[in-house]
Amino acid sequence: MLAATAGAALLAITPVLAADQADQIIRGQYQAVLGDCAGCHTRPGGKPLAGGLPLETPFGALVPPNITPDHETGIGNWSETDFRNMMKSGVGHNGVRLYPAMPYPAYTRMTEQDISNLWAYMTTVEPVSNKVEANQLPFPLNIRLAMWGWNLLNFSEASFQADPSKSAEWNRGAYIVQGAGHCGTCHTPKSFLGADQDSSFLQGASLQGWFAPDITNNAQSGLGKWSEEDVVTYLKTGVNAHSIASGPMAEAVENSTSKMTDPDLKAVAVYLKSLGSDTGNAQAPKPDEARMAAGEAIYHDNCSACHGGDGAGAGALFPTLVGNSIVAQGNPETLARVVLAGSQAVHTTGAPTTPSMPSLAWRLKDQEVADVLTYVRGSWGNSAPAVSSDDIAAVRKELAP
Amino acid sequence: MDRHNTVQLSRRLFLSSVAMFTVTATSASFARSLSGSLPWAPMSSDPPMQVVSGGWQFFTPQEAALVEAIVDRIVPADDLSMGGKEAGCAVYIDRQLTGAFGTSSRLYTQGPFLPGLPTQGYQGEANPAQRYRVGLASIDAFLKQRDGKTFAELQPADQDAFLAAMEAGKVDLPNGVKAPGFFGLLLQNTMEGFFADPVYGGNKDMVSWRMLGFPGARYDYRDHVSKHNQPYPRPPVSIEGSPEWLVKRS
Repeated sequence: MLAATAGAALLAITPVLAADQADQIIRGQYQAVLGDCAGCHTRPGGKPLAGGLPLETPFGALVPPNITPDHETGIGNWSETDFRNMMKSGVGHNGVRLYPAMPYPAYTRMTEQDISNLWAYMTTVEPVSNKVEANQLPFPLNIRLAMWGWNLLNFSEASFQADPSKSAEWNRGAYIVQGAGHCGTCHTPKSFLGADQDSSFLQGASLQGWFAPDITNNAQSGLGKWSEEDVVTYLKTGVNAHSIASGPMAEAVENSTSKMTDPDLKAVAVYLKSLGSDTGNAQAPKPDEARMAAGEAIYHDNCSACHGGDGAGAGALFPTLVGNSIVAQGNPETLARVVLAGSQAVHTTGAPTTPSMPSLAWRLKDQEVADVLTYVRGSWGNSAPAVSSDDIAAVRKELAP
Repeated sequence: MDRHNTVQLSRRLFLSSVAMFTVTATSASFARSLSGSLPWAPMSSDPPMQVVSGGWQFFTPQEAALVEAIVDRIVPADDLSMGGKEAGCAVYIDRQLTGAFGTSSRLYTQGPFLPGLPTQGYQGEANPAQRYRVGLASIDAFLKQRDGKTFAELQPADQDAFLAAMEAGKVDLPNGVKAPGFFGLLLQNTMEGFFADPVYGGNKDMVSWRMLGFPGARYDYRDHVSKHNQPYPRPPVSIEGSPEWLVKRS
C-alpha cells in the first residue's frame, strides 16, 4: 500500500522532473553554442565533440580531446563537480591540469547555473570511442604541473562582475563576450607566456597564421564604422556591408554566433561598441609612390574585376575594401593569407551563397602581393601601414604544404 | 511481313520493362541535393604551365630553322610589329606539338579515314606532330631538288612565292603531303602563336595585343561599360602578369 502510494507520487512527479530536465538540457545546449565547444572539439565531418583537429599554439600542438560521455576515451567518468572545477579553474578529473588553449580563463566567468546546464547537456551527447592524445607539447611544456605555476602567474578563478551602472543588455553582452563566448581567446593580444594582456582587451591578435582583428569601437582598426546592426548581421550571417568572415572566424560564425539568439547578438554588439581603445589611430606615413603605382596596376589586373576599380566591392558577394577591418589592421597577416590562399565565405541560413576568392599565390610574387596590399591599404581613405615582401614571404612559407 | 510492327509483349519483355522502370524511378530518387558550402579549398589553382623559351622540345635544329623562316614570312617584321620569329611563334608551335595538340590526345583518332569536305578540315590519320615531321621534311626535299637551297636560304620574295604556291596547291610535295593542307596548318598555328597569351610561348611582350589594343586576360569591365566611344585605357595583361606590375625607380 505504501509502495503503491509512493509509486503514484513518483508517477506524478516524474513528468515534471523530465520537463525540467529537458529544459535544462536545452539551456545547456545553448551554452555549448555560446562557448563554441564544437569549434575545437569536433573534427570537420566528425562525430560531435569526439575530438578535434590539432591546435597549433606558439608552444606546440595540442589536440582538443574527446569530450563525449564515453567511459574509456571521453569524459564518461567525470562528475559534475569535476566538470565545474575544470571550467572554473582549469583542473579536471583526477586533478589533471588543462592548458589554457582550453579557454578556462574565460569560462571561469560563467555562472554556476550555466555550467550546470552545460553539464546536463554534455551527458546527453552520443558517447564516441575515440582516443585522443591531447598533449603533444615538447618537453618541458608537456609537464601539465607547469600549469600550476602558469595559473599562479596569470590566472585567478573569477566570476562575472556585472556593472550596475550599465544596462542589462550591456551586461548580458559583457557576460557572453568575456565568458562563454571567449572572444578574447583570439582577439586579445597575448603575453610571452600566452596569457591575455588585459590592457589590450580585444584589440587584435595573431594566432594560427591569422590576425584576429581589433573588435573594440576603435574608428580605424575596430568596429567604429560599424553600427550595432552591422555587428549583429556579421555575427548572424558571416557577412555585412564592411566585411566577410574568413578563416577561424568563419568557423566561429558557422558553429557559434550564427546560432545565437537575436537578443544575445544585440547584447554582444552593444557591449563591443562600448569598448573604447585609442591605440593605432595614427595615420600611416604616405606610402612610396613607385610602389603605389605598381600596386595600382596589380590591383586593376587582379582585384578590380570583383572588388571594383574604386574598392567598393559588390554587396554581400564581394566585400568592400574601403574601411574593411581586415584591410585596416596594423598586422597584414590575414590580408596576405587571403590573397595568397584565397578565402570562402561561411555558409549560414542568412547568407547561403558562400562566394569565394581565388588563390593568387601562383600568379603574384611576394613583392607584387606586398605592393598591391600597400596600394589597397593606402587608397580610398584607408590608412594602414605599408606591407613588405618579407611579410608576404612569411605567410607564403606557412601556407606551403 | 513487317517484323518491326510485330513486337509481341512477351511475359519476359513485360517483366524486364517493369524492372527497367523500377530502376529508373529508384535512381531518380537518389538525385543529390547539395547543401552547405560550395566545394572550395585554399591554395587551389590550375594555371597553364608557363612556357620557358630556349631550346627545342619537338623540332630538330633543321626543322626549327625552317619553321622560324616560315613564321617570319607569315608575320613579317614591319612598322606594326616584330616578326613571327622574334614573337616566339616557332617556340609556341614546338611546345604545342609536344602536348595534347601534337598527339591529338583529346580527339577521336580511329578510322575509318575518308576524304572529307573542305569545310571539314583535315580528316587523315596523322596527328599534328606527325604532319609537321613529314611536312617539313618534304618541303626541304622539294626545295633542295628544285633550287638546291633550303627555305631559309631563299630571298624573301621567293619564300613568299613558294608559300603562295603551297597555299594554291601548285606545289607537288613528296611523300604524299598535300601542300594546301599543310600550309593551312602552319598558318593556323602561326596565328595562334602570335595572338595567344604569352604564357604559351608566343606573342612576346603581348606584341600583337598592343598592336590591336586588345586588353588581354581581364574579365570584368563594369567601370568602363558606360564609357562609349572611348578607348580602353589600360595596357594589356597576360596570364603570367605585366611589366606594369614592377616597381619602377627613376
